[in-house]
Amino acid sequence: MPGVPPGLRGALPVLIALPVVVVFELLLAGSPFATYLLSIMGVNIILAVSLNIVNGMTGQFSIGHAGFMAVGAYVAGVLSLSLKEIALSFLPVAVSDQVFLLLVLLLGGVAAAVCGFVVGLPSLRLRGDYLAIVTLGFGEIIRVFVQNTEMFGRALGLSGIPQTAGLGMVGFWVFVVVLVARRLAGSSHGRSLWAIREDEVAAEAMGVDTTGYKVRAFVISSFFAGIAGGLFAHFVPIINPGSFTFVKSMEVVVMVVMGGLGSTTGAIVAAVFLTLLPEALRSAFAAMGAEGSLAQKVDQIRMPVYGLLLVALMLLRPQGLFGTKEIWEVLPRWLPRRRKGLA
Amino acid sequence: MAQLLQHLINGLASGTIYALVALGYTMVYGVLKLINFAHGDVMMVGVYMGYATAFALGKQAQKSLWGVVLIFLVAMGGCALLGFLIERFAYRPLREKPRLTALITAIGISFALSYGFQLDIGFLPGAAPRAFPEIIVPTEWLIIGDRDVVVWNWQVMSLLIAVGLMVGLQYLVFKTRFGRAMRAVSYDHRVAALMGIPTDRVIAVTFMIGSALAAGAGLLYAIKDTSVSPLMGLYVGLKAFVAAVIGGIGHVPGAVVGALMLGLVEEFVVGYAASTWRDAVAFGILIIVLIAKPGGLFGRVAAEKV
Amino acid sequence: MSSSTEPTPQQLADAPLLKAEGVSITFGGLKALTDFNLAIRKGDLQGLIGPNGAGKTTAFNVLTGVYKPTQGEVRVGGQKVNTLKPHQINHLGLARTFQNIRLFRALTALDNVKVACRAEAFSDAAAHGVAAAALVRGGVLTAIAANCRTLVLAGWWKSLLLTPRFQAEERRITEQAEHLLEVMGLLHRRDEEARNLPYGEQRRLEIARALGTQPNVLLLDEPAAGMNTREKADLMVLIRKLRDDFSLGILVIEHDMKLVMGICEKITVLDHGETIARGAPEQVRSDRKVIEAYLGDSYLETHGGAA
Repeated sequence: MPGVPPGLRGALPVLIALPVVVVFELLLAGSPFATYLLSIMGVNIILAVSLNIVNGMTGQFSIGHAGFMAVGAYVAGVLSLSLKEIALSFLPVAVSDQVFLLLVLLLGGVAAAVCGFVVGLPSLRLRGDYLAIVTLGFGEIIRVFVQNTEMFGRALGLSGIPQTAGLGMVGFWVFVVVLVARRLAGSSHGRSLWAIREDEVAAEAMGVDTTGYKVRAFVISSFFAGIAGGLFAHFVPIINPGSFTFVKSMEVVVMVVMGGLGSTTGAIVAAVFLTLLPEALRSAFAAMGAEGSLAQKVDQIRMPVYGLLLVALMLLRPQGLFGTKEIWEVLPRWLPRRRKGLA
Repeated sequence: MAQLLQHLINGLASGTIYALVALGYTMVYGVLKLINFAHGDVMMVGVYMGYATAFALGKQAQKSLWGVVLIFLVAMGGCALLGFLIERFAYRPLREKPRLTALITAIGISFALSYGFQLDIGFLPGAAPRAFPEIIVPTEWLIIGDRDVVVWNWQVMSLLIAVGLMVGLQYLVFKTRFGRAMRAVSYDHRVAALMGIPTDRVIAVTFMIGSALAAGAGLLYAIKDTSVSPLMGLYVGLKAFVAAVIGGIGHVPGAVVGALMLGLVEEFVVGYAASTWRDAVAFGILIIVLIAKPGGLFGRVAAEKV
Repeated sequence: MSSSTEPTPQQLADAPLLKAEGVSITFGGLKALTDFNLAIRKGDLQGLIGPNGAGKTTAFNVLTGVYKPTQGEVRVGGQKVNTLKPHQINHLGLARTFQNIRLFRALTALDNVKVACRAEAFSDAAAHGVAAAALVRGGVLTAIAANCRTLVLAGWWKSLLLTPRFQAEERRITEQAEHLLEVMGLLHRRDEEARNLPYGEQRRLEIARALGTQPNVLLLDEPAAGMNTREKADLMVLIRKLRDDFSLGILVIEHDMKLVMGICEKITVLDHGETIARGAPEQVRSDRKVIEAYLGDSYLETHGGAA
C-alpha cells in the first residue's frame, strides 16, 4: 500500500480490524440466530481460505479438510472440558475464558498441523491423485478413531464444552487466516507455491524444494482447519463425528472451486454464499408456507445440487468465479489498482 | 483352525466382489488416467435397478433361474448405459483439460448420485437401507464338523460368477483385437488415434464393461449383505479403489490380487480384532502401501517425460 | 560418514564445474545412455548433438537429477550428486532450460524470473540443507524439527509480518529479476503473462529464469528451436555474451548445425545413447560415424565416403 511507512505496514491491518470485530460482536449480542449464522460463516471462511492455500495456490488436491477440522475440534474440546473449573483469578471471567479459549484453539491447531505433516509428507511425494485418496482416507480414519474412543465421546459426541467462542474470537481468526493467505500469496514463498502449481518439474529445476513447500503449505492449511474446528466446538452445544464427515470436506472443496482455485477473495465470497444460500432457501420455503418437510429437504437437496454444481462448473467455467484473481484485480479501472503480478 | 478356514472363505468371497469393482477402476484409469470416483455410485444405481426388477418380477419369479439372470442382465445393462452416458457427457469434453478438472467432475457425479439417491422424491429411493429380496435362497452346501465351517451356496456362486467374469475380461484384454486396442489406448491415446484406433469408442466400451462388472459385483454384495442403501456405493467403491491401488492402478491382474488381499485382511481384522475398525483397515493398508511402494505391488510409477 | 570418498577442499577448488563419469541409465529394457562422460569448466561453451532419440535430453535429465543414473557418477563442483534432488543440484550451481518450454504460464515474465531468484535459496540454504538431509537420512523427528526450523527460522513468519528486512529482500529480488530481463531484452514484457509471449521471447525468458538461480553451469536444451535466422544469429551472440558476463560454463543441445558449429568449442555426439565422437567442430563435422548417424549409410554410399 503506498503512502504507509514501511514499518507500520505489517501491523496496520491488525490495528484496523480489531476494533471492527469487537464492535460487531457487541452489536449482534442480542440476536443469537444472527450470531450463530455469522459464526458458522466465519468457520466456513477459515476452512475455505485455508484449503485454498493447498488446492488453489499450490495446485494440489486435498479432499479431507474436515478430518483436520475434527482433530482441532476434539483436541480443543477435550482440553476445554478438563480446564472447565479453572479460571485465572486475577482477570475478569470473560477475559480469562478468552485466554483459555485461545490456548486450547492454538493447541488444537497445532495438533491438526502435526496430523497434516504426518499425512502430507508421504503423500506429497507422489502424484497428485494420490493425495486426494489419502486425505479422503485420513478423514475416515479420524472418524473411525473417534467413534471407538471413549475420551472423545464415541458416536454420541462431546457435550458441555464451554461456549466461549463469540463473534470476536471467530472474527479474529477469520482475519488472521485471510491475512496469512494474502501475505503468503504476495511473498516469494507464495510465488514458489504458484510455480509448483504451474509446473512442478520446472519449479524443482529452478531450485524450489517442491516437496518441502507442498508439505509446509499443507501444514499451514491443516493448522487453520484445526482452528476452525476448535472454534466450532466452542459455539455449538455438542460435537460428534457426524459434523466432520466427507460431506463437510466436499462442501469446502465446492467453495474453493466455485470461488476460483487460487483466489482468496473467491474462497471468501463462495463460503459466504454457500453458508447463506441454504438458510435463505429454508426461510423462503418456510415463508411460502410450504410443508415443513420441504424446508428440511433443503439440507438433503443441498448435497446432490453441490455435486451437479461441481460438474457444471467444470464443464462451463472451470476457473470458478474469480479464477486466480483477487477482488481488486476485477474491479473497474477507476479504483486505484495495484501493479499486475503477485507482488 | 476351523475358524481360520471360515474366515479364509469369507475373505475370499468378499475379495472377489471387491475385485470385480476394482477391475472397473483399474481399466478406466488405464485408458483415461482418471480415477473415476463415481464408479462405486454407478454400481449402487445398478443394484437399485436390480432391486426394482426383482420387485417387479414378484416373489416367485425372482427366485427362478431366468429371473435371476434377468435381474443381473438388467442391472449390468443399465449400468453399462449409465457409464456410457457419464463418459460421453461429463468426461469426454474434459479429456484434453488438466486431470484435476476431470477429477473434480468425477467427485461431483459421485456426490450427485449417492446423495441424490438418498432423497425420497419421485423414483429416488431414499436414505433408509432396504432389504434386498432373496433371489438366491441361502442353502448350506458344505458343512465341516459341527457347523465349524459353513460354505453357503451363494458364496460359491458368487465366487464362480466373479471368477468367470474375470477370466472373460482377461481373455478380452489379452486375446482379442479389441483388447489390444484397449491396451494401445492405455499406453498413449493420441498415438493410438493416429494408428487408426477408434479411441472414443474404445474408451466408451471400456467404461461400459467396467460399469457392468461393477453392477454384477454390487448385486453379489447385496445378496451377501441382504441390504441396499444409497451410500453402499461410496464404501464398497472406496475399498475397491484401495484394492486397485494396492495392486498397482492400471494393472488388471494386480487389481484382483489387491482385492483378494483386502478382502482377507478385512475379514481377519473383523474376526480376530474389533469389527468397528473394519472401515479403517482399508485406508490403513492404503497409506502403508503408498508409503512403502507407491506404484502398488505390480505397477510402476511412470517416469514423467521431461 | 565415509571421509575417504569426500573430496578435499583443494580437490573441490580444482574440479570441473560439472562432470559426468561413466554414466549409464536404463529404462526397463532400454539402455538410454551408455558410458556417458563429460566435463565442463568455467568459460567452456560445449555442444551436445545427435539425431533424435539419441539421448541428449536424457543426459540433461540425469545431470540435473531428474533421473538417477543406474551406473556412474555425476559431480557438480566436485561434489557427487547422484542421490540429490533436482532443487539441491540447482543450489549447487547447475541450471537448465527445457526442450518443450516449461515456463510458469500464468505468472508474469517478471514473476517467472523472481521464482528463480527466491531469497530462500540464498539466505536459508543451510536450513534447507538440514531439512533435506534429515529426510534422506530418515527419522521422522528430525524431519519435523527441520521443517519447524524452516518454517519459523527460514522466514515464513517474516513474510507475514512484512518486516523491513523481508521487504528489502523482496526489493532486491525484484531488482535482480528486472536486471536479468533487461539482459535478455525482455524488460518491456515484465508484466505480461508468460503464456502470452511470442515463442522466441518465451525461449529467452526461460534462459533469464535459469540465470536467476545464479548458476555456474547453464544447460540449454534446444534454445534455438523455432527461431528464424535472424533470431538465431542474435542468440549466438547472446550465448557468448552470457558466458562472458556471468562467468558460466555452458552446454548446449541443438539441432541447428550452423549454431552449434558457430559457437561451440567442443562438441560431443551421441547416437542411441553412445558417444560416437567428440572434439572440435571441424573434427566432428567430417567424422564418418557422425555423418552416418545423421544421414544414414546410403548417403555415404552415394556420396563416396567422408567429405
